[in-house]
Amino acid sequence: MLASNTPLAVLLFPGGLFALGLGLMLKGLDRRVAARLQGRVGPPLAQPFYDLVKLGRKRTMVPDIAAQPVFLGAPLIGAVTMLLAAALVPIPGVYAPNPMLGDLLVLLYLLAVPAVVLMIGGSASGSPFGAIGFSREMALMIAYEGPLVLVVAAVALRTGSFSLNDIVAYQKAHGSFLFDPVMWPALLAFLAFYPANLGIVPFDIPEAETEVLEGPLLEYSGPALGLFKVMSALKAVVVLGLGVALFFPLAPDGVAGLIVHAVKLVVMMLIGVTFLRVSMGRMRIDQAFSFFLKWPLALSIASLAIVALA
Amino acid sequence: MTLLQTLTEKARQLAVRSPWIYRINAGSCNGCDVECATTALIPRYDVERLGCQYCGSPRHADIVLITGPLTTRVKEDVLRVFAEVPDPKVTVAVGVCPISGGIFRESYAVHAPVDQYLPVDINVPGCPPRPQAIIEGVAQAIALWRERI
Repeated sequence: MLASNTPLAVLLFPGGLFALGLGLMLKGLDRRVAARLQGRVGPPLAQPFYDLVKLGRKRTMVPDIAAQPVFLGAPLIGAVTMLLAAALVPIPGVYAPNPMLGDLLVLLYLLAVPAVVLMIGGSASGSPFGAIGFSREMALMIAYEGPLVLVVAAVALRTGSFSLNDIVAYQKAHGSFLFDPVMWPALLAFLAFYPANLGIVPFDIPEAETEVLEGPLLEYSGPALGLFKVMSALKAVVVLGLGVALFFPLAPDGVAGLIVHAVKLVVMMLIGVTFLRVSMGRMRIDQAFSFFLKWPLALSIASLAIVALA
Repeated sequence: MTLLQTLTEKARQLAVRSPWIYRINAGSCNGCDVECATTALIPRYDVERLGCQYCGSPRHADIVLITGPLTTRVKEDVLRVFAEVPDPKVTVAVGVCPISGGIFRESYAVHAPVDQYLPVDINVPGCPPRPQAIIEGVAQAIALWRERI
């Protein structure tokens, strides 16, 4: 077990370069498998990495009417926040974050930052599409944050702690929550939450390419757009890693644990992202909003009640 | 210095593998646009295997596909959108219209050929061109883009 609060944890191993590589690999796998499911050949696995290098070599254009410091600062803040968040997520059997760095509550706040940063960047760009993206992102965020907080509260109530290390340790002693019927409503609510948080097809309403031209990202180009790509790759690792820690963290120690963790992330990515996005069309914002305030919210409230009674 | 040069060369080789495509419809009859969509959507002609991706914003683009004879109505907008594409970029004229005006050649409302106004690098003639020809044009554009990035 590795427990450190050194900058190394943020920059190199569980966060930083490692998480970035893992995130880009997940994105590449997602694109490849999606292409295969549609009967295409698809891009190489390292495609997101090539995209990132390419964006680094392009020019960043700032629109005349944009608020420049905010416009350029937003992607930076988003990427750095996710870098920090990646160091807060445990890799069971391999890495336990130092409690000094922060617990589940800090992670919840950090997870809200990418959406906020997209809203700020989009509105600072001065583009009308950015403004549409802003309002949609806001509505979607209100819809999915509620279920997330309640799911986390249910897990915390069950284990009696807001520390991810304690949650992992509890499941190691009592069996993983994946096989615990009491936790199934929370698990279902989380399954509905993470596609929305990752912004993929049924819920990619704020960035809808074919209707609002990628909304907040419309005016970004070059390295600034690259930072948003870094942010979303890291966010995939953080959100999926959070799901692993909350519901099925059992893994062997050492290198085997690392491999098991990567496999779990890939499975969650394929089920919750790839299969979902190739088999569904995009929802309207009102449909997504009412969906989240109906099923995931009801499930998460139910799970909180069941856990409180059990 | 040599290490830096090696790294730059390596980065350039990697960057070439990610050309993003943006389509400008300069008053086209939509025939060429359907063929462009074909190259992306039909399994047989998948351009994503070259690393290409059709993007919705001119600011994300590396390769610009222009279709249509540049009608008076859209001329200013096309020039403005083209200027929004960040350098380095490569321009491909798809179909016979941007090259000569095609069947609209004699019209008072048409400003073809497009290369009077925009630096066109590659012409893909045809009315409409076959998807294979468009992919060939994109492949040549990628070769040209390698020099520029």
